[in-house]
Amino acid sequence: MPGLDRGRWEAIDPLLDRALEISVHERGAWLDALRAEEPALAAELHALLALRADADRDRFLEFVPVLPPASLAGQTIGAYTLEEPIGQGGMGAVWLARRSDGRFEGRAAVKLLNLSLVGQAGEERFRREGTILARFTHPHIARLIDAGVSRSGQPYLVLEHVAGEPIDRFCAAHELGIEERLRLFLSVLEAVAHAHANLIVHRDIKPSNVLVNDDGRVKLLDFGIAKLLQDETAGGEVTALTRDGGSALTLEYAAPEQVTGGAVTTATDVYSLGILLYVLLSGRHPAERALGSPADLLMAIVEAEPSRVSESAPQDRRRVLRGDLDTIVAKALKKNPDERYGAVSALADDLRRFLEKKPIAARRDSLRYRATKFVRRHSGGVAVTGVVALLLAGLVGFYTARLARERDRARLQAEKATKVSELLTDLFTGADPFTEHRDKEPTVHELLDAGAERVQKELAQQPELEVEMLAAIGKTYQRLGLHDRAEAVLRTGVAIGRRSFPGTERLAENLNNLGVLIRRKGALTAASPLLEEALAIRRKVLAPDDEKVAITLVELGRVYGDLDRDDLAEPLLREALAIRRRVLGTEDHNIAVSLGDLGFVLRRRGDIAGAESLFREALEIFRKASGPEHPDVASTLFQLAQLAADRGDYEASERLFRHCVAIDGRTLGEGHPDYAYDLVHFSRTLLGLGKYDEAAADAELGIRITAMSSGKDHPLIAFGEIYLAEVHLARNEASLAEPLLRDALRIRQHTFRPDDWRIGVPKSVLGATLTALGRYDEAEPLLRDAHRVIKDVPGVPAQEAEATRARLTALAAARARSAGP
Amino acid sequence: MANTIGSLIASVERGDHSAADALFAALYSELHRLAGRQLASGGAGLTLGTTTLLHEAYLNISRREGAQFPDRARFMAYAAKVMRRLIIDYARRRQAQKRGGGFSITSLLNEPGVEPADATELVGIDAALEELGAVDASLAELVDLKFFGGFSFEEIASMRAVSERTVQRHWEKARLYLYQALHPKSA
Repeated sequence: MPGLDRGRWEAIDPLLDRALEISVHERGAWLDALRAEEPALAAELHALLALRADADRDRFLEFVPVLPPASLAGQTIGAYTLEEPIGQGGMGAVWLARRSDGRFEGRAAVKLLNLSLVGQAGEERFRREGTILARFTHPHIARLIDAGVSRSGQPYLVLEHVAGEPIDRFCAAHELGIEERLRLFLSVLEAVAHAHANLIVHRDIKPSNVLVNDDGRVKLLDFGIAKLLQDETAGGEVTALTRDGGSALTLEYAAPEQVTGGAVTTATDVYSLGILLYVLLSGRHPAERALGSPADLLMAIVEAEPSRVSESAPQDRRRVLRGDLDTIVAKALKKNPDERYGAVSALADDLRRFLEKKPIAARRDSLRYRATKFVRRHSGGVAVTGVVALLLAGLVGFYTARLARERDRARLQAEKATKVSELLTDLFTGADPFTEHRDKEPTVHELLDAGAERVQKELAQQPELEVEMLAAIGKTYQRLGLHDRAEAVLRTGVAIGRRSFPGTERLAENLNNLGVLIRRKGALTAASPLLEEALAIRRKVLAPDDEKVAITLVELGRVYGDLDRDDLAEPLLREALAIRRRVLGTEDHNIAVSLGDLGFVLRRRGDIAGAESLFREALEIFRKASGPEHPDVASTLFQLAQLAADRGDYEASERLFRHCVAIDGRTLGEGHPDYAYDLVHFSRTLLGLGKYDEAAADAELGIRITAMSSGKDHPLIAFGEIYLAEVHLARNEASLAEPLLRDALRIRQHTFRPDDWRIGVPKSVLGATLTALGRYDEAEPLLRDAHRVIKDVPGVPAQEAEATRARLTALAAARARSAGP
Repeated sequence: MANTIGSLIASVERGDHSAADALFAALYSELHRLAGRQLASGGAGLTLGTTTLLHEAYLNISRREGAQFPDRARFMAYAAKVMRRLIIDYARRRQAQKRGGGFSITSLLNEPGVEPADATELVGIDAALEELGAVDASLAELVDLKFFGGFSFEEIASMRAVSERTVQRHWEKARLYLYQALHPKSA
């Protein structure tokens, strides 16, 4: 018998307890002592303890078995009898089935769908669209035979049964060469193109849906099924959670727009095909290193540029892949759907040209400028998919990363992570409290709010974990641009930290993050004390050269700069730069960040040339460190564009801005607060060039995005309103300018101290506006007041002072004209 | 149904052996039904852990049976054992079908990395666990809760009103017992 019998166990049990209680170091001596008295027992114990390493290596009992579905074999669904389960997909279980009436020797695959995928009102549409799909046939596409709902209410699909191997495994098993792989892939493209021509988008292309049979023929599964299952009534923000929960965990082939809730089009299939092609050519997933963690994967989908396919491939294939195939794959994998191949056939054409050794059509990045679209897309809100995924990512990813780092504490952390994971599961499967009292699905906000509430309730005894989770939820809000909610959650975290772990780096980190968020919202005076507190703690508990000290120095320096306290900002920023140069060498990303921050301060002090040289140095570092397409490159271009505009060189400024806007639009997305920044300030340059229509459109869009993400009091809105007002003035529409300027004035009075020169700017423009409207008596005090606060400030304001003087002259002239005959 | 699960648990605790069978059957069918509903919903979405299933069963039954229902800890001790039965029965059917199709064993932490595990191994664990039950019932129950029920050390510690440290030590013992039972030295 293999086990230890009762007698042996009773003898060994207390000794084992003891052995597990004492430390590893003590154990040796203790065992020696035991060996002297009870050699047999000691040997047995030693053998048992030695098994521990094996058990750990085998990860024995570390994984929890998931209860599989009960058997449905023998049940009939429609005209089919279920025989055996053949798979479990994101949408439901798949069964091999045979026709019940024996009329045909027909085997089919029956997919039993998650009920909520169909929805209440969706049953009719489900049948109807199923019928349409069933009419659609192509030799490379597995046919949908029937779609319906069984008597017991089970929605199902009957599909042509395909025996085959996923395409990636087929290629590997048959050791296909690159050309053979491309030819196989081309027949996939042919099938997808045919479906697209019939207005059917796949939406879920991945190797398990692209099978190759023994004859080497391709069959695509599940075409149009994802769409069939989409509940049209639940568009926008409210989406079936189960579906989203499901897809949140199968992200490997998802396009960015599927994660962020954008429109799914044929370009989505192009993206998934791009990943498939990448995998087939290189044998690796473009985000391979991110696959272990949903957090990393999500970030990779939304943000990371994949390395070139040739770089991921084994050495012997690299030469063939380098160049055209790199370009083709990269074009299919563009984050922005508009920049991918416009059609699957175009992708196929380029691959064929490659095979025929003709020049391909795709070029490396071309610059394009678009300033529309986002608002429409954003108004529907971000899909729940994105939120669930982000939150899961943020939390679970956090723990996964931590587990990897701290192996000693792994077990303890695993306990915590299990807790986190269960909390999330409860939250997102909607066990309570949502589904009990409502027939609607919870909205994104409700989900996250409930999450924050539960965290505070259930983790009150573990303040560190509680604060970590609140920080993750706050980060999720922030990523979604919900800054008010993010602030509330982070504030709670800071309050708990002050109470439970005062004076620690952990608290400082939360203070720092809250300060940064609040600065981004534009509440500058509220941000500085938080960052000052964080800095004081970090200076005390961290080494003087710690990068985190530099981080807070930079953030606080930025706030001081925003508050027009360049005298306070400059030493902090110089200190941060010095720390980074000491610790990081010469070409590190963060050195460039510090260069930029310092350049920003110099610019405001009127040292345009000095600022430009710092920004140019920063730009080189960013390009080297992050590649030409990175938001950091964009923000440096932004600064250089502003400097060019300061010099009055609007042509150069326009070139720089267009470059910057294109990068941010692609990498951050056209709803990002930084993108709004670009647009608003670009409108000033456009104004200088006399391109009024574009200037007005950019300023308006920038204002809308900012109001949506950061509220109506954000300082950026004042900029936008002033530039927009200037466009109106230039077009002789002074009455339209007035309300904009009054709002800009309101914001600036709220943001700055009473006699700040920046309050003078909207006053000055408002003075000009009122002059144009013939309201001279109102105009004069505004212009005089503006001139008073602007005239003695060095740097950029000199131009404003000059403009204000010109406006005073114009006022006097207008008065003279109206008083004259 | 005359016998509620609550009254059956009470009978079992008074030492009534026929009640034990009835309790087992009742819990089995309850859990089976819940798992079946998971199937009806396609089994999609986040893979529901067995813990979630057990929580759900507890909520359902306690709601149905009201005040005289026993505490959660006692319920879970029985239910986790039944959960093991359910999982093992499935694994046996899998074996009987002689098909590959790895049993899905997954960690809650790392969803994409599903480890296929052998139904045979599970059946082996079950047999060794039966032995362990005869030797030390409390350790066996711990394995039911932790491995088959998916509960965390922390939850188990609070169920048993002992420290987490103690639960972890007991778990380590049970794990070693089972491991040596499954991997007997040929010598």
